[in-house]
Amino acid sequence: MSKEIIRVEELGKSFGEHQVLRKIDFSVNRGDVICILGSSGSGKSTLLRCINQLETQSCGKIFFHDKELGRTQREINEYRSKVGMVFQSFNLFNNMTVLKNCMEGTRKVLHLPKHEAHERAMTHLKSVGMAPFINAYPAQLSGGQKQRVAIARGLCMDPEVLLFDEPTSALDPEMVGDVLKVMKELAQKNLTMLIVTHEMDFARDVSNRVLFMDKGYIVEDAPPEKFFTAPEHPRAKEFLSRFIAG
Amino acid sequence: MTNTPTNSFEWVWFIAKKYSDLFIRGTWLTLLVSVTGTILGFVLGYVVGIVQDTEINKDDNIVKRGVVGLMKAVSTVYVELFRGTPMIVQAMIVFYGLRQSGWEIDPINAGILVTLLNTGAYMAETVRAGIKSIDIGQREGALALGMSPISTMFNIILPQAFKNIVPEMANTFLTNLKMTSVLNVIGVQELFLQAKTAGGTYYKYLESYLVIALIYLVLCFVFSRVFALIEKKMAGQKDYVLAVEYMENTQ
Repeated sequence: MSKEIIRVEELGKSFGEHQVLRKIDFSVNRGDVICILGSSGSGKSTLLRCINQLETQSCGKIFFHDKELGRTQREINEYRSKVGMVFQSFNLFNNMTVLKNCMEGTRKVLHLPKHEAHERAMTHLKSVGMAPFINAYPAQLSGGQKQRVAIARGLCMDPEVLLFDEPTSALDPEMVGDVLKVMKELAQKNLTMLIVTHEMDFARDVSNRVLFMDKGYIVEDAPPEKFFTAPEHPRAKEFLSRFIAG
Repeated sequence: MTNTPTNSFEWVWFIAKKYSDLFIRGTWLTLLVSVTGTILGFVLGYVVGIVQDTEINKDDNIVKRGVVGLMKAVSTVYVELFRGTPMIVQAMIVFYGLRQSGWEIDPINAGILVTLLNTGAYMAETVRAGIKSIDIGQREGALALGMSPISTMFNIILPQAFKNIVPEMANTFLTNLKMTSVLNVIGVQELFLQAKTAGGTYYKYLESYLVIALIYLVLCFVFSRVFALIEKKMAGQKDYVLAVEYMENTQ
């Protein structure tokens, strides 16, 4: 199997007149932990949503294992089952318990037998420290707990890549730590991750690559050691100076 | 007759007793037509509501797009037609229309048919509103797992939407219970028509209609309680049980 999982070529996205993404080129290799940084409105989340096909790109191509992504619903469903997503607003299913949330995908999409789906759900819920809450409904959990369940739900699908769209932005500072700790453990287990975040320390310590976006372009693509000490692009310098000053 | 009633109260009681079999049959038919019509109408409403909410994926093949497009068009025409005309007129057109085209449909079945078609049109809009009320994140969460849009609809969106529209379903049902009275125009012997008959003999219309007003009131009260109970049941429990057997690893 090749090292490259996803490759994005000349990707662009516009909403009406407004161009959100321009000429995006990059690839994700197995084991990569890539943090996407940039100020609000620079297109980070849209890029992630295009990769997951929750938004359809206006131009350009996405390749999965060197094969261009198909456009039929069936092809997209299958692709999504291998490329998971964790959202800023968690998006746990409100009508299901924590346990059911983690079994829905494996039962309905992967068609695993019930005991196997259950076993998988328990394994991942334990790893994020949420196993005691299997009977709870999302509304009964705190934000940090919800996000850890959402991560477990994503992991149950055994994805090749897990996308994180600002996973800690809706959490209060105390809970951010819990979620980042879980993500750090995942990085150590070599899960391939693509993370849109504002957590600079996390990006510096955990990622192996940083993409910096500005006005819809990726203006810098560098290892964190280089990005955080010697950024090249003026916007990246400005962005970092504010972070260091703050 | 030994005890001729002397005032309206006595007349109400007299007529209720004397024509009890008419009122019982009327109550039964009112219930039969409204319950059957409403339940079938709810089913139709769900189907139409879901069809209207379905999006056409422009990258799907032409057959699939064609079928979905046609179903959406038919749904729209249906909803507009039945929301835009009075039920009493629909009853006439359906009943006489079917008869004239050679289908010997009896008034009761025609009544059920009209009720279900009318309910379906309103219900479709209610269902659509219910679907729209569910946060888009619920759908995205399911799609991101690789669930198909249809599976997402049935497993994630509808169960939540259903809960939200139960009060509106109760409303629709109570409305129908009373709206069946217009079906007297096609000869369904529901409560209204029975009251007309019962009142005619002694020329005591006021008293006769008071009897059925009371019956409608009791029926509506009972059913609104039943729906309140369903709603309460669906709200679910406030507490959950910690699975203490997995407690050791958490803080």
